[in-house]
Amino acid sequence: MILAVVRRLATVVPILLVVSLLLFTALRVLPIDPAAMSMPPTATKDEIEIARQQMGLDRPLPEQYAIWLAQVVTGDLGRSTHLRRPVAGLLAEALPATIELTALAMLIAGSLGLAGGLMLFALRGDAVEAIAETGTTLMMSIPEFLWALLFILVFGVLLEALPFTGRLGPGLARPMVTGFLLLDTLLVRDLAAFLSAAQHMILPAIALGIAFAPPIMRVLRSSLIDVYHEDYIRQARLRGLSETRVLLGHALRNAALPTLTLMGVQFGFLFGGSLLVEVIYSYPGMGNLMVDAVRNADLPIIQAVGLTYCVVVLLINSLVDGLYLVLNPRLRPR
Amino acid sequence: MSLLVARGLTLEAEVEGDIVPVFRGLNFALEPGRVLGLVGESGAGKSMVGRTIAQLLPPGFRVSHGTMEFDGADLVAMAPEHRRSLLGREIAFIPQEPLTALNPVLSIGAQLDEHHRRLGVRGRRTLREYALAALAAVHLPDPAGLLSRYPHQLSGGQCQRVLIAMAFAGHPRLVIADEATTALDVTTQAHIIALMRELQRASNTAVLFITHDLRLAAGVCDDVAVMYAGDIVEIGPAAQVLGASRHPYTRCLQLANPPMLGTRRALYALPEQMPGLRALARLNGCRFAPRCPVKADYCLRIDPPLEGDLHRSACLRPGLVETIEVADQLAPPPWRPAGETPVLALDHVSKTFTTGTWPRAVEVAAVRGVSLRIAPGEFVAVVGESGSGKSTLGRLVVGLEQPSAGRIALAGTDVTAGDEAARLHRVATVQMVFQDPQSALNPRRRVASIITQALEAEGAKFAVREKRVRALLAEMGMPLELGVRMPGQLSGGQRQRVNIARALCSVPRLLVADEIVSGLDVSVQAQLLLLLHRLRQDHDFALLFISHDLSVVRHLCDRVLVMHGGEIVEEGPTETVFGWPRHEYTRTLLAAVPR
Repeated sequence: MILAVVRRLATVVPILLVVSLLLFTALRVLPIDPAAMSMPPTATKDEIEIARQQMGLDRPLPEQYAIWLAQVVTGDLGRSTHLRRPVAGLLAEALPATIELTALAMLIAGSLGLAGGLMLFALRGDAVEAIAETGTTLMMSIPEFLWALLFILVFGVLLEALPFTGRLGPGLARPMVTGFLLLDTLLVRDLAAFLSAAQHMILPAIALGIAFAPPIMRVLRSSLIDVYHEDYIRQARLRGLSETRVLLGHALRNAALPTLTLMGVQFGFLFGGSLLVEVIYSYPGMGNLMVDAVRNADLPIIQAVGLTYCVVVLLINSLVDGLYLVLNPRLRPR
Repeated sequence: MSLLVARGLTLEAEVEGDIVPVFRGLNFALEPGRVLGLVGESGAGKSMVGRTIAQLLPPGFRVSHGTMEFDGADLVAMAPEHRRSLLGREIAFIPQEPLTALNPVLSIGAQLDEHHRRLGVRGRRTLREYALAALAAVHLPDPAGLLSRYPHQLSGGQCQRVLIAMAFAGHPRLVIADEATTALDVTTQAHIIALMRELQRASNTAVLFITHDLRLAAGVCDDVAVMYAGDIVEIGPAAQVLGASRHPYTRCLQLANPPMLGTRRALYALPEQMPGLRALARLNGCRFAPRCPVKADYCLRIDPPLEGDLHRSACLRPGLVETIEVADQLAPPPWRPAGETPVLALDHVSKTFTTGTWPRAVEVAAVRGVSLRIAPGEFVAVVGESGSGKSTLGRLVVGLEQPSAGRIALAGTDVTAGDEAARLHRVATVQMVFQDPQSALNPRRRVASIITQALEAEGAKFAVREKRVRALLAEMGMPLELGVRMPGQLSGGQRQRVNIARALCSVPRLLVADEIVSGLDVSVQAQLLLLLHRLRQDHDFALLFISHDLSVVRHLCDRVLVMHGGEIVEEGPTETVFGWPRHEYTRTLLAAVPR
């Protein structure tokens, strides 16, 4: 088991190296001068040249890459050129926010997918099935930014039911313990802040997650149909188990395996999709950090955010592989 | 009082809008503590009887008349909740495929616990005690260790023991065993049968024993009902039904079965096959009549009743049953000059596989130091149980695997190297027929194109291929119009013939056949064995016949090799090896075959 984990992690290292190399070269090819960007507009050419030498930008590219890589490994992601703050600190604020948002979105997509998949399975062969199919297709065809705008229009502006900018209501203090707002507000027992934070997350999370639910529903439905043809389902019925028990105790766990694979893949897309939704809801996460950095050509942030995305996706994949081992004993090493 | 009684049970199926009668008033009774065998070929409706008892019928099927009474209560009419409360407690099922009948993601312990909880056992410690006792009752070693294992870590026989433990856990009054030993090796089958009898006698359980194997039924059952196309055609005490059958179908089945004892007689090959569901609607009178060798015109009109006292049969001309006979001698194999170059020569061939990943990699020897010679035109069998290495041996011969050590020569040419020259020689010399005809044929190609694939590779003209298709189809005894069909439109027996025709197309000198008749019904098997005998007279090919079925081997092959643990433990002329086995393993194997 431990060996399997080590082997798995060993495959992550070359992937990260390749991504870091790609990121680094792509950004160096851009006609942007980080030295000039980091100086005030009044700086002279000589001053910029001195800064360039200080920053090591006059050295050959491979050497620059080696220096950057060594720093990244020790946790030094450099300084933002336009915010003039260490990138690591910026990431520490933005990453938990995005993780919270995407995890909630995935939870919503997963719950909707599970409920919808079971519903579609129960309706199979029924006349209502076509209506349900159309509904899920509609859900899937609308992109997340359109959902985001629709929700703001309906729940924010027309109904005035939910807030749609930022993370907390006015006058509420933001506690800092772990960086995860929902968790922190609970830890300091500030119920008002927790509720406000939750309300602020509902719309972006649903907008982000809703389009991911229909594929889960469909995969779950078809896996359930496959599983119901298996001998062990018939044998469970022949032992006199109730239909509910057959579904929950035997069919669902087997049908969950392909569904889990899909959700692992989806999480990567979800993390990327958070960018637009964050911008629309002015949600201070990785997406906003990235958009801001791109606008200001802030290379250290772009590099760090890109690398972080890659690490997160790889971690999620490893997590799904691990879950797979838990759920499917056939894959465990003997 | 009888425990299970079917009275005028009529089962109907809706097929493409038509109502087809499947069972036309089935009658039988099963007494407590007795074993009733339901025998017949696939499509006879044997399993449908079991499914009627549980009322888990395929979509479109329903019981329109009659009753299936369990202990006086009609299982068909009773409330589903009531019936469900009987299942697993009073009525238990033992399935056909033990490996797939257990949930793959739940441990053996979890599945036993679930069943025991349903039977009313409570408390973690008590559940564990019950699970251990259940596994001990079916003589599984190390019950405590088994609880945390998963089905894929167990063998088929072990899984079947677990399922039998579950079936008998509630001390049921009725057990339905549907082909419960078909998927198992012959020695495992003998153990499982002994176990079932032991548990059945201990708790005076009635057993409905569904099987296609007449010899097995004769050994296991008190009574036997022979089914054909949804009808019980003969029923009575096993010794009488199978010893002195009064129905032509029973007689033909027995004659189609190659005997394990006595002379190697010819086999009776019933023409055609069991009618499908659709065809049942058009069949009036005796459903067996269209294939019956002693039918009269009126048989096709009059539905014969089950007549007799203890031993009843449904035939209008029972006096003619004994006139159905086969030649009691087999034609001798064609004469060959001695001292020809062997078509296949293996010298100390070994094959090891590596399983697992470093550093836990384990080397497993599938074939160890096997040497053998096959002369041109010789039919040689390799027998052994699953895991004995017999299939790997076949794959080595046709080049699907490369040997780890040793030498392979085909018709005098060394092909061990496996290079392009060896490959070309191999393709020209040896062909393989695979076990599962369904997956061996490309479902998107027409039969004619499948059969002449070898010519296609040579770039033969259409007219040449067309001529070859005609010749081969005629030789296989198949109508020419089958050439334009897709494999999905053929029956199992027809598919296997297409498979053989495909292999024969390039005129090979050696045919490797891996379990080619094992999935087929007895009457279809007889047709194929007859075909192989006939092809042998007309063509010049040797056969390496890999099989677990000793009676088929005895019928078809001149020489036999017994494999065990990757080695050939005994070899010699079939009659000698089967009559006077010398190796311990051969004796065990032969003792386990039902006679």
